Amino acid sequence: MHKRGLGFYARIYRKILIQDLKSKMSYRADFIISTFGMIMTNLSGFITFMILFHNFPTINGWDYYHMLFLYGFSLVALTPVQCFFDNNWNLRFMVQSGDFIKYCFRPVNVFFYFISEVFDVKGLGQLAFGIGTIVYAWIKIGIPVTFLVILKLLVFLLTASLFMIALMNFAAATCFWIKGSGYVMVIMFRFKDFAKYPSSIFQGIFKVIFTFVIPIAFIAYYPSLVILTPDNVPLLSWISPLYGILFVYLSYRFWMLGVRKYDFTGS
Amino acid sequence: MSEYSGNEAVVMKNVCKDFKVLNRHEGLKGSIKDLFSRDYKTVSAVKDVTLTVNKGEIIGYLGPNGAGKSTTIKMMTGVLEPTSGELLVNGKVPYKNRTENCENIGVVFGQRSQLWWSLPLIESFKLLRDLYMVTKEDYEGMIELYRSLVDIEPILHKPVREMSLGQRTLSDILAAFLHNPAIVFLDEPTIGLDVSMKAKIRELILGLNKEKNTTVILTTHDMGDVDALCKRIVIIDKGTKIYDNDIDHLKTYFGSYRTLKLKRADDEWEEYLIDEKTTDVMDVIMEKQKQMKIKDVKIDEISTEEVIKKIYEGGAK
Repeated sequence: MHKRGLGFYARIYRKILIQDLKSKMSYRADFIISTFGMIMTNLSGFITFMILFHNFPTINGWDYYHMLFLYGFSLVALTPVQCFFDNNWNLRFMVQSGDFIKYCFRPVNVFFYFISEVFDVKGLGQLAFGIGTIVYAWIKIGIPVTFLVILKLLVFLLTASLFMIALMNFAAATCFWIKGSGYVMVIMFRFKDFAKYPSSIFQGIFKVIFTFVIPIAFIAYYPSLVILTPDNVPLLSWISPLYGILFVYLSYRFWMLGVRKYDFTGS
Repeated sequence: MSEYSGNEAVVMKNVCKDFKVLNRHEGLKGSIKDLFSRDYKTVSAVKDVTLTVNKGEIIGYLGPNGAGKSTTIKMMTGVLEPTSGELLVNGKVPYKNRTENCENIGVVFGQRSQLWWSLPLIESFKLLRDLYMVTKEDYEGMIELYRSLVDIEPILHKPVREMSLGQRTLSDILAAFLHNPAIVFLDEPTIGLDVSMKAKIRELILGLNKEKNTTVILTTHDMGDVDALCKRIVIIDKGTKIYDNDIDHLKTYFGSYRTLKLKRADDEWEEYLIDEKTTDVMDVIMEKQKQMKIKDVKIDEISTEEVIKKIYEGGAK
């Protein structure tokens, strides 16, 4: 029996990724159209945002550029889930048709093997857009550029991305128990739209739900506070990296539990 | 483990597999009821199956649709856990060591390609080589063997999605043998293929089995596959094993059966299966002759196809 460690998985993932990109490039028209589509989607989202916030200069004490920063932050934080975990959207169909079983015949982790199959380039347009927005807001707000702040930004961007990955894992894995669970994913994905608003606008029960049950407040709000209000960072922001790792781990266990419990009928 | 000789690829002892199925109610009211219902019924997909497959054997694992064939295969591949009984594949419990088990098996599902859809076959091979950690020498040796058995050049650099069904099946079989597994499971490998492709695929499977002494467990509805590949067949119906013996034995068992073929006036052949112990073939011919004009008569031995049909219908134990 061969040992397969982290190094093995990293190597395999890189190889699959390169092959996938190569084959995507060979379908040039498809590649260009989908990139163009992504740019248009982002542009229209951005324009809506501009119009909205030029009319409401502050929301709950957040001014336009802080809102913009949050918006850019959420775009970047959503990139990993879109680029690397996009195959979760196909899980339901694979499970229903019985095709999912093919992922169980390889001597590698089922979750890894399934997720590695799809790399979505379209997410890269969003990444560029998000970075641009962050840089613009950054300059306008006048946040100092130091090594420490950049490091914090990277760590907390990564943290933020973990929450969306976990949410989508949870949502996708429901298909192992519920037939026609597509709406769960759609709802979860819609929730991400709330991420671009400061969570301080949510009160009472919503605040609790969006912080702990469906923690979209962590997709942008809490992590970005580390950069935006360095003198007044809530405890939740500091513990968000750990919470994020835990949340991803739980979602992974839930996903794998689904595979184990599923009885693979429908052949 | 002392009771095993070490020559077994698969050992099944009194293996059962039950599924829990929700008793569904009709109508909207019923659907709401189902949401909270704990009203399950147990369906036995595999009942008390005992079976040993030796290394290097090609066995035909047959049965009508829904007989429990795929459930058995899924247990052997480690995807499903048996409800009770003992199951060993290559001496290990597959469900408990799924990854380890997967290193030693290959799986082909006739209608579903397991290769990377958009990659040329050679790139899929290279990825599989890495996934299974096949050494360079073993990999190259295998490719050499493939070259000697089939003409792989035309498909090697073709993306799987551009292949014909036959080429895809061929690729899937080659991919399943690439890491030189001890057992290969083939589920309807020739479904939907034309006659010449079927022959090519069968020849390839035989060649690989001979060269590598790979155990092959074949499920199929195509008796041509069975005739060409299997010496031994196992038949399962309603979850129970109903036959397990050599294919020749089967024909002797039904040795008294004859297929009578009569050519009608419109040049169409009519077929009758006759047990000579109970019915005289000449009687049937004379009886038929009274009803219609017979242009030609042929008497054949019973075909495997008809034997299997007889068994499905409950003719043998």
